[in-house]
Amino acid sequence: MSKGNPKMVKRFSKPIIFVHWLNAAAFFVLYISALPMYTEYFDWLYAVFGGPAGARLVHRIAAIFFVLPVVIILLADPKGFFFWIKQIMSWKKHDFAFFKEFPKEFFGGHANIPKQDFYNAGEKVNSILTILTAAMLICSGFVMWFPQFFPQAAVMWAYPIHNIGLGLSAAVVIGHIYLSVGHPGSKASLRGMTKGDVPEEYAKAHHGRWYDELKDAEKKDDKRIG
Amino acid sequence: MAAEYLKFVDVTKCDGCRACMVACKNWNDLPPEYEEFQGSIQSHEQLTAHTWNVLTFNEQETTNGGFEWLFRHQSCLHCVQAGCEKACPEDAISHTKFGSVVVDADKCVGCGYCVQGCQFNVISLATYKDKRGKEYRKAQKCTLCTDRLEQGLQPACVTACHTDCLIYDEREAVLSEANSRLLQVKDRFPNANIYNPQGIKGTTTVYLLADKPSVYGLPENPKVALSQVVWKDYAQPIGKAMLGVTTMAVIGAVISNSIAKVKNGDKGVDHHE
Amino acid sequence: MTNHWNDLQHTDCAMIIGANPAENHPISFKWLLKAKGKGGKIISVDPRYTRTSQQADIYGSLRSGSDIAFMGGLINYMLEKELYHKEYVIAYTNASFIVDEKYSFEDGLFNSYDEAKRSYDKTSWAFKKDEEGKILKDLTLEDPRCVFQLMKKHYSRYDVETVIGVTGTDKKTYLEIAKTFGATGKPGKSGTILYAMGATQHTVGTQNVRIYAMLQLLLGNVGMPGGGVNALRGESNVQGSTDFGLLYHNVNGYMEVPTASPEEATYKGFLEKNTPKSGYWRNKPKFYTSMLKAYYGNNATAQNEFGYQYMPKLTPKKDYSHMRLFDAMYAGELEGLLMFGTNPVVGGPNAGKEKEALSKLKWMVAVDLWETETSAFWQEGAGSKPADIQTEVFFLPACASFEKEGSITNSGRWMQYRWQAIQPKGESKADLEIIHLLALRLKELYQNSTKPADTPIKAMSWDYGHGNHPDIDLVCREINGYDMNTKKQISLFANLKDDGSTCSGNWIYCGFYTEEGNLSKRRDHTDEGMGNFLNWSWAWPANRRILGNRASCNPSGQPWSKDKTVVYWDAAKRLWVGNDVADFPKDRAPDIEGGTDAFFMLPTGKGGLFAGVNEGPFPEHYEPYENPVSNVFSNIQLNPAVKYGLEEMNAKGEAKDFPIVATTYRISEHWQSGAMTRNQPWLSELASHMFIEMSEELAKEKGIKNKDKVIVTSARGKVEAYALVTKRFKPHKLKEKTVHQIGMPWHFGYKGIVTGETANRLTPHIGDANTTIPEYKAFLCDVRRA
Repeated sequence: MSKGNPKMVKRFSKPIIFVHWLNAAAFFVLYISALPMYTEYFDWLYAVFGGPAGARLVHRIAAIFFVLPVVIILLADPKGFFFWIKQIMSWKKHDFAFFKEFPKEFFGGHANIPKQDFYNAGEKVNSILTILTAAMLICSGFVMWFPQFFPQAAVMWAYPIHNIGLGLSAAVVIGHIYLSVGHPGSKASLRGMTKGDVPEEYAKAHHGRWYDELKDAEKKDDKRIG
Repeated sequence: MAAEYLKFVDVTKCDGCRACMVACKNWNDLPPEYEEFQGSIQSHEQLTAHTWNVLTFNEQETTNGGFEWLFRHQSCLHCVQAGCEKACPEDAISHTKFGSVVVDADKCVGCGYCVQGCQFNVISLATYKDKRGKEYRKAQKCTLCTDRLEQGLQPACVTACHTDCLIYDEREAVLSEANSRLLQVKDRFPNANIYNPQGIKGTTTVYLLADKPSVYGLPENPKVALSQVVWKDYAQPIGKAMLGVTTMAVIGAVISNSIAKVKNGDKGVDHHE
Repeated sequence: MTNHWNDLQHTDCAMIIGANPAENHPISFKWLLKAKGKGGKIISVDPRYTRTSQQADIYGSLRSGSDIAFMGGLINYMLEKELYHKEYVIAYTNASFIVDEKYSFEDGLFNSYDEAKRSYDKTSWAFKKDEEGKILKDLTLEDPRCVFQLMKKHYSRYDVETVIGVTGTDKKTYLEIAKTFGATGKPGKSGTILYAMGATQHTVGTQNVRIYAMLQLLLGNVGMPGGGVNALRGESNVQGSTDFGLLYHNVNGYMEVPTASPEEATYKGFLEKNTPKSGYWRNKPKFYTSMLKAYYGNNATAQNEFGYQYMPKLTPKKDYSHMRLFDAMYAGELEGLLMFGTNPVVGGPNAGKEKEALSKLKWMVAVDLWETETSAFWQEGAGSKPADIQTEVFFLPACASFEKEGSITNSGRWMQYRWQAIQPKGESKADLEIIHLLALRLKELYQNSTKPADTPIKAMSWDYGHGNHPDIDLVCREINGYDMNTKKQISLFANLKDDGSTCSGNWIYCGFYTEEGNLSKRRDHTDEGMGNFLNWSWAWPANRRILGNRASCNPSGQPWSKDKTVVYWDAAKRLWVGNDVADFPKDRAPDIEGGTDAFFMLPTGKGGLFAGVNEGPFPEHYEPYENPVSNVFSNIQLNPAVKYGLEEMNAKGEAKDFPIVATTYRISEHWQSGAMTRNQPWLSELASHMFIEMSEELAKEKGIKNKDKVIVTSARGKVEAYALVTKRFKPHKLKEKTVHQIGMPWHFGYKGIVTGETANRLTPHIGDANTTIPEYKAFLCDVRRA
């Protein structure tokens, strides 16, 4: 707990970090270029893009970069990708218990959160929602981009799906950003997604089970070395 | 809101002269569109952003061994519950006091959602170039000559029609004329019907059709699409609300965290560190 | 038209044959649908199911060129079933007249046929007269030599089975048409026949129209509101142009052009030869002299035969019609050509050859709105080699109707004045200005000439104001005519004089510009009854709206039907009164001599069921010049009075090589040769491709699919176009064999916004025996996939 050089543990691989930020950037551009159409309060944004046609073009370029990360990560770090998928699909008692305590934490109180996995339950929910909303957005977006290849009813359903996808994803992303950047308690986690490592203490506090696994692995290593 | 005036298209009175098409292009100053040979007298395959009314020609052998060459003045129906209007994310499409459904070109961003939202394939996008040569798009369709109606004139197509196939008159007069014409033509056209679909609360252009709507490529019973209801009546408002709720939650968190920080200020440390 | 457009609303039945008014005269349907709304019936008879047919109650198909068979069958039906209007027929037609013994008819030929000259002696078809010169009549109509019985005998050969074996009409439909139209024979009922170029553009075109008139006289439909024989004129002012001497053998008001024959060497001789002894035309000297006074003014005096000798004279019996001019041109007999708004490279028969003929001219002047296919005939686009063509071509840009003022006369003979809407574009000038400038230049050129041959130009009066723009009001005043001394406008042609004290450019228009002013400018909407609108514009003659309207009343002068009242005899006033101007001497009582001569213009005062035109007194069916079957009515295949022109201009196709009947037509969206409409974007987009309409059966036989490119060939040329395969064309099931027919618009050429190959490259260079109108509407061809 010293303020000197805390002991660091490795959290995310370089490819994961890259695609995360690429995805984030693409989402941000998509979001900004969609906002003026989504709500009239942001109509002024059209001017930023040089008119609706410009916004549409930016949106479509960004859409490609939004889809690209899946391809990149599958090529560059398939292990990390499948680990993520496996993790977020695994739901145990401690995951559910997380939510009981989380609000206290969120609003700056003292929370008694049970030990969490590499991805805590909050992150798992975030991941699942991200995947779901991305799927909604990508599929419906594709239909809207190429309406000539789809029946009219499909195209007409694409609009609400894209719309709902946007609403959900925006909510998710805002929460996600706050928890990783804005919330005083999660500052360290940001480093995991930038430098790729986190303080050991942070790991212990927020991802107890992962920390335990790390320690177990270290012990095993120690034994081997010893 | 129901219009006080309706446009009535009695297809059984149409003699296929297409003056309505020329009058429309003339008044609205629309450019010509030279299409490929259609394999019939029909000039354009369908309505486009520059061709707001098309006379369709349909050769039909009747069940009793007869033959009918069915003409239809095809243009915007100006639905009371208009799919295009509902689809528009910019509120650029609206009803006028005449019941006509019009596009506000200043608001239109050319997204094309209305094109998919129309069940009658009426509205479409026109591409224009601005002064710098940059392309932009606007949704275009028949306006029922709202600009003429405002001047106390009739729609250009109606004025051009010499057989009274097209008339523009008070609602009650139109509906009673439609009913009496229906009785008159039933002998020759047993499938004749008045097309004023109630699934979309009626249209401002009412047809007397000589055959089933589907023969003319019209939906038999158009309704407001469920997808549009889900989207515009639920998803969009809830989505906007959610954005608000999330934003409020974050703001709330920032404030409460600051308060917590002040409270714990003397401890000097964050409980996690 | 004997009647007029608005009047169509009063018909009980309209038979539309050889016309497609829904497409080519759409406004007619404004009125026809009103008639239909009141229970009137519409019959459409056409080789193909048209937009008119769709609005009709009954559609009957017929093979192009079989109209006389079709109508002859109807006449036979009316006579057999006694559906004709007997009282009318006896009172107002020549049915009761006894025909001279010389008249006979056998195997397709009437008496007095001269095979070498291909002509008849028309004087041999006369009526029998008593010692006083009065025509013998049998009012019981039973004398075997009366017109009625001869007609009955003539058309008894046109029984239904024979007729439909020639026309290909479905029997049930044919009988339904006969019954429906026959119902208008009832007194008080009226039926109208509407026809256009589908009737006239045949080698038997005149007789086609004659037989419509005969049927209408039999049914008592002539003179009735909602009745009549109504030519739907193909151009807005074609009525006006023929009224004003457009045709080569007419001067203004349908009077003769003098010929260089001995009898016509003097004005006196000319008038004697051409003035009938009875009927209204006996006033012809008044009209002719007044016209000469308009032409030559003070240079026309009693001493110089009112300038008669200044008039150009035709060579007797020489045909100067369109085709013969092109024959002469092709033979190198013509030096120059001045064309106003005409486009024979698209519109002429055998247009490919007519184009070749143009290249034999030394010079050609084309006056038109655009550079047309004809004015550019020498260009590569026309398929010509410019280096080989020596013709010097001048193009004068002309104004469109909106750029000038003047009048047009519609099919209903209404002379309607129009005002200028916009200034002319570029250097274009109104036709009137062009003629004016030309006349002034010619007069200037010859003013000092002493040659006798130049005196007509010097003598011509041309007082239409100073400067380049003529004063159109002065032209109008002269057309109507005025008193040469007082300069007061003449109120009606009845007041014209043959002593040179009056002038009138066109006697039938005398009355349109009185001291009250130019009546063709009137726009009064008041309907005095029956939609005649007597104060809207002005109709010739004498503002009469329905010709022969005396016949809408019974012999004693009362209307056949109260619902169909236009004029009637007011015994108290001793005048013909009503909502129309009586087409009858207004104070001639019904019960005096001539009181029932309803067609008082004619020498006998009676409608001519028996009336000699070049091929005989009764219309007889002959096959077109090119025909797929033999004539079942006689051994005479082609109209025996038809003249062949220059052989090189008129190759003939045989059925073995060209088995398919073809016809040309117009569509709503284009006009004539397309010069005006194919240069108009909004019309061009509506019909932008040349197409050939054909039946599904023919397409299947030839392996053609809809939208395929096909090639149509005739003995004269070939045309490539899109195939429009349709249910609206059906093969004609004739007695001899099944015959296919195709149809095509003739609007296309290589100039303009939308272009296409020219249908008239296929059409024959032969025409009607009386008018020489070309036989565009029935010829033979073959079709194959391109």
